Amino acid sequence: MSMSTTSPDTISDTCLGIGWARPTRCFAGRPGVRNHVVGLSTVGLTDRIVSLACERVHGSLAVTPSFERGLRGEDAALQARMIDAIVRHPNTGATLIVTQDPRAADVLRARHAELGKPHSVLALLDCAGMDDAVNQAAKALTRLTSEAADLPRAPVRLSDLCVVLECGASDASSAVCANPAIGRFVDGLVAAGGTAIVSETAEFLGAEDVIRRQSASSEIADRILGYLSAKEAMMEADGEDYRGVNPTAENIDAGLTTLTEKTMGAVCKIGRSPFVGALAYGEAPQRPGLHFMDTTFFSPTSITGMALAGGQICLFAIGVFNPSAVPLVPTLKICGNPQTLSAWQDGIDVDVSGLITGADTLDQAAQAISAKIKDVIGGQQTATERWGEGQIILPRTLPAI
Amino acid sequence: MTDKAPLRDEGGRRHLKVHPDDNVTTILDAETHCTVLGDGLNIRPGIPFGHKVAVTVIRRGEAVVKYGVVIGHALDDIAEGEHVHVHNLA
Repeated sequence: MSMSTTSPDTISDTCLGIGWARPTRCFAGRPGVRNHVVGLSTVGLTDRIVSLACERVHGSLAVTPSFERGLRGEDAALQARMIDAIVRHPNTGATLIVTQDPRAADVLRARHAELGKPHSVLALLDCAGMDDAVNQAAKALTRLTSEAADLPRAPVRLSDLCVVLECGASDASSAVCANPAIGRFVDGLVAAGGTAIVSETAEFLGAEDVIRRQSASSEIADRILGYLSAKEAMMEADGEDYRGVNPTAENIDAGLTTLTEKTMGAVCKIGRSPFVGALAYGEAPQRPGLHFMDTTFFSPTSITGMALAGGQICLFAIGVFNPSAVPLVPTLKICGNPQTLSAWQDGIDVDVSGLITGADTLDQAAQAISAKIKDVIGGQQTATERWGEGQIILPRTLPAI
Repeated sequence: MTDKAPLRDEGGRRHLKVHPDDNVTTILDAETHCTVLGDGLNIRPGIPFGHKVAVTVIRRGEAVVKYGVVIGHALDDIAEGEHVHVHNLA
């Protein structure tokens, strides 16, 4: 195996497999790595009916995020954008959009009229009874399943991918195994013209110098640092001294010394590419390369923001275990902790513990991630897909009416 | 980053230097009695899992580098193979 820093396999724009072609108005035509037939419940009232209908239609995916009515301002706008993004997402082949009342259904029909993907809108109040509603929804999903099966295929190259980066349940192993392995993969992805998004603003406190040095322009660095300052001001207003309490006594016992060292354990998953974008929550990247997204640190909320931006695959570094994932986005759980790998083998996709034993180099670990992405594009289910994991959780800024 | 496998062999401790510019490496086993790294560097005994050792001499005031990033500065002269932690790094 090659020990070179940039192996030919990761730097060229490798074709990873065959996915699905998508219309240009849906995330600029980024191809899907999945062709989900989605039952989308746009309001919590219809969640159960959508779940029941999806249970009847093999291969369909219920997306039931308990969306609310009465949201205000940015919160209402964000929820509406999320509904749009689920329908337009590269990994969505066809969608049954379910809502409560006929007027809301008309609005949704108008919004998606020019979508260019199979879809159908169903209003619960146009049905005649619970049984009829489930039947109508299941019937629509069955029709959409056959329409989705006829959608055109397309190759998926590294340059077609928007990969979203996450870490959770971190420990000493994730800081030196899973996150650096992801960083090495991202180096190759970006070199090949692909796109990556990293989030969780608070996790970057202590990495200000890295942000300054690793941004494509001072304007981008300033925007990212502005997100960090806002987060820190928020914590200070709550009486929290983040820098003062980190690293914690427990972190120090585990070998960490400074806030920068602790932070880099997570931040090293960005690799060495410059930041070319500083995105607001859920904002889609407009150019290839590495992007920062301003999100909260709770992993389902941060992955939701990056899925809203059109990310097709998630690389999720874990130390101990964290089961979360967004339903539309195949999520690779990457772990280097031998104890976690042994206990949670059924929830993990990529074993990078060879970095600890010395059996593998970072290049080999990055290639293992590449190989798993190819398998997943080829149809292999990720652990989170096998378990039906999936949360869509949006941040909230205002009390609802 | 590392261009060769982080060696572990005949009794040497497992460790990983994440970036080629790093002047510390992270110990990744619990063999605290062992006083040599896999690639031959002599180290102090008793260094726990997840802690760092200097792979070169680091003078007082010099940068301590991990992930290719300055994580702090040496509070004292640090010998090659010495434990690098909160007592000599801030």
